[in-house]
Amino acid sequence: MIGLVDGNNFFVSCERVFNRRLVGRPVAVLSNNDGCCVSRSNEFKALGIPMGTPYFQLKGREATGELSFCSSNYELYGDLSNRIVSILREEAVDVEQYSIDEAFITPPSLEALGNGERGTAAITTVPHSPFPIPRSPYLAYGRRLRSKILRWVGIPCGVGFAPTKTLAKLANHIAKKRPDGVFLMPDDPTEILAALPTREVWGVGRHLPAKLRAARILTARHLRDAPDDTIRAVGGVTLLRTAMELRGVPCCEERDYDAAPDTVSCSRSFGTPATTCEAIEESIASFAAQAAAKLRRHGLLAAGCNIYAQVFASGGGGDFVDRTVVFPVPTDATNEMLRAFRPEMSALFTPGLRYRKTGVVFFGLEKPGTPQQADLFDASPPPERSRLYKAVDALNARYGKGKVFSAAEGIGPRPWQMKRSKLSKRSTTRWDELMTVR
Amino acid sequence: MSAKAKVSGSVVAGFPSPAEQYLEPPLDLNELLVKRPAATYFVRVEGDSMVGAGIRGGDLLVVDRSLRPADGDVIIASVDGEFTVKTFRRDEDGVRLEPANPAFPAIRLRAGQELDYFGKVTACIHRFAGKR
Repeated sequence: MIGLVDGNNFFVSCERVFNRRLVGRPVAVLSNNDGCCVSRSNEFKALGIPMGTPYFQLKGREATGELSFCSSNYELYGDLSNRIVSILREEAVDVEQYSIDEAFITPPSLEALGNGERGTAAITTVPHSPFPIPRSPYLAYGRRLRSKILRWVGIPCGVGFAPTKTLAKLANHIAKKRPDGVFLMPDDPTEILAALPTREVWGVGRHLPAKLRAARILTARHLRDAPDDTIRAVGGVTLLRTAMELRGVPCCEERDYDAAPDTVSCSRSFGTPATTCEAIEESIASFAAQAAAKLRRHGLLAAGCNIYAQVFASGGGGDFVDRTVVFPVPTDATNEMLRAFRPEMSALFTPGLRYRKTGVVFFGLEKPGTPQQADLFDASPPPERSRLYKAVDALNARYGKGKVFSAAEGIGPRPWQMKRSKLSKRSTTRWDELMTVR
Repeated sequence: MSAKAKVSGSVVAGFPSPAEQYLEPPLDLNELLVKRPAATYFVRVEGDSMVGAGIRGGDLLVVDRSLRPADGDVIIASVDGEFTVKTFRRDEDGVRLEPANPAFPAIRLRAGQELDYFGKVTACIHRFAGKR
């Protein structure tokens, strides 16, 4: 069984933990440089204002007091995200942070769930099901996780359970619409899949649905039941893996989500535990390089990154240390990322400890340029820009990391810093920006 | 290997340190004040509504969100959108937030109004003026 825990309207929910005036109001968090709406409260969604609406179009309604906006406070979101993940690490057997607001978890075994907790011992099964899964222990576990995160961190989450990651994504989607925020995919999800257009299936992407329509594959159910040859002809082995996942066969094990560019994350366990700061630094540098390449492939910039290291402990587990890094300006350039990571490396590494794993999770992904430009021009990055980075990467690959970098990165304050005019306080990472109480 | 040798003191040549069996990590204020890092927040006090409880303007409070409030606890709650630090009181009359300064009124919850609880204050850090 796999669980997906996902913060509801995550950025808005983070803002609301420290600003109670935003509760119950239509609020949106704006993208890098206050471009457009990237996270909306339910009240904001109810007004029918779509995701990605440029901020300048809504300024009038902000002036009348109808709508509220916040700039992206990635320092705060990253810290609250780390808190949620640390709770999950206590409560689950395994945790894979997928993006700043989503994590896949491996729940404890049914035996552990059934015997460990009050009120979950009575295991019920679904009548007439060919593969009965005891349902109540997972639901009770999900509700417990959800209420702990809500109480400890202040973020409402949805928790979805299913046998595969792709189905868990769907279960989570349904969970968020339920009052208790928890959903376990039924043993036979045919009805749910039949009501779901293919474009809403995780990993299908935006360009595939047209091809799928041509092959008369319109819903997730069609995709699940289509012949393998047809699926492979339309979307190759990646789409076949998605179909297998819909059939309940886990195929998404290798932590490679290239088909789903809504997040960029990378983690690796060391063959032998790492004991030097250089090893930690190098592993994170190589993740950053891979991530930068992926960002460029999708024409995206990242606003920041969570980096983490796990200490080796015999018998698995081991303490995690994590840091949130916000780049001076959203970037897809490896060396800019590494420069931002460098001051945090000493915090990740403690001499004398052995490390088993490191990882990075990028967030705040978006197309370069303001949203207006993105609408006017082709969404791919300007050619001179990508050519420059290709050359930079090639030179750096040949002569060593950081040999070629932009002179603008020199010293002193940066006039081209990200614009965040409506930034809330970074209450959990800056001593001089603490929340005040009277 | 060198790290291990340092900790165990099992150096091939020379005497083992007589202090070896007493080696302990140094005291860490985080360990003392932050039992649950994932649920702990720091906030800054403004004003002197709680001065009688030893909480003064400028003090730093350690707040644990995981703890449920009990009668007599000092807590952080939001009232009309503003965060406040007060003593939590619950009795036959209902719930009220009590200041520790006669110049301030108690805050009584209206019927049907739910307390917008943030967390329980577990410590107050007061720093003295002057060079730090």
